[in-house]
Amino acid sequence: METGRQGTTLFTAICLLIAVLVIIQLWLLGAALDAALSGEPRLAIPASIASAVLFAINAGLLWYVFDFDRRRRRVDPDA
Amino acid sequence: MSDAPRWREDFPILWDEDHYVTRRELAKFLTLGSGTIVAATVGVAVIGDRLRPQGKGERVRIEGAEAVPRNGSLLFTYPTPEDPCILVRRADGTLVAYSQVCTHLSCAVVHRPAEDELFCPCHQGHFDCSDGRPSGGPPSRRLPRVQLESSADGIFAVGIEV
Repeated sequence: METGRQGTTLFTAICLLIAVLVIIQLWLLGAALDAALSGEPRLAIPASIASAVLFAINAGLLWYVFDFDRRRRRVDPDA
Repeated sequence: MSDAPRWREDFPILWDEDHYVTRRELAKFLTLGSGTIVAATVGVAVIGDRLRPQGKGERVRIEGAEAVPRNGSLLFTYPTPEDPCILVRRADGTLVAYSQVCTHLSCAVVHRPAEDELFCPCHQGHFDCSDGRPSGGPPSRRLPRVQLESSADGIFAVGIEV
């Protein structure tokens, strides 16, 4: 059963994790741009794939947060 | 009757509440930003090869290029008057030309014949004269190379190779 205290800790950790993944994505974008400006645009393709994978992880984590809230409300409608 | 001032009816949202962002909202914004970054990275991959001019361009005669001695250099502009370039005749007599704009922070590079290199005095960047690749210092990208064509009429710049 999910509790509010569990949620507080969990959501802080999830927010931090998403922020770290976004920073990695920014680094990938910078590397892709640098490669493209160096005349090697093909390097941007693996960077795009990696960035999309990180976005999928972020979306999954966000979906988990909302799913957590739904389950909590099912147990305790006043939450 | 309420004790709240009348202006409160027009501005009912408290300042603190207006600036309050929950962790769920933060997670949502970050994920939205994450999607935007994916779109930007894919955009770079798709249009990457069009970001810099490449290949054949306008054919422009480089005035005085024939007179450049071995280990000498000549400044010219190509493809527009705002694009400074440097032509170098190396010790073996071969002619090479590069953009004079350092790929680090856009200072002007100068020729150093003794080291057979192009040198950026701003941050001590070194580029190899043979291919324009960085050989020392902060630059990580090579200098765009000006393609040259030699004919009876003189020496011409015909394109930029990134």
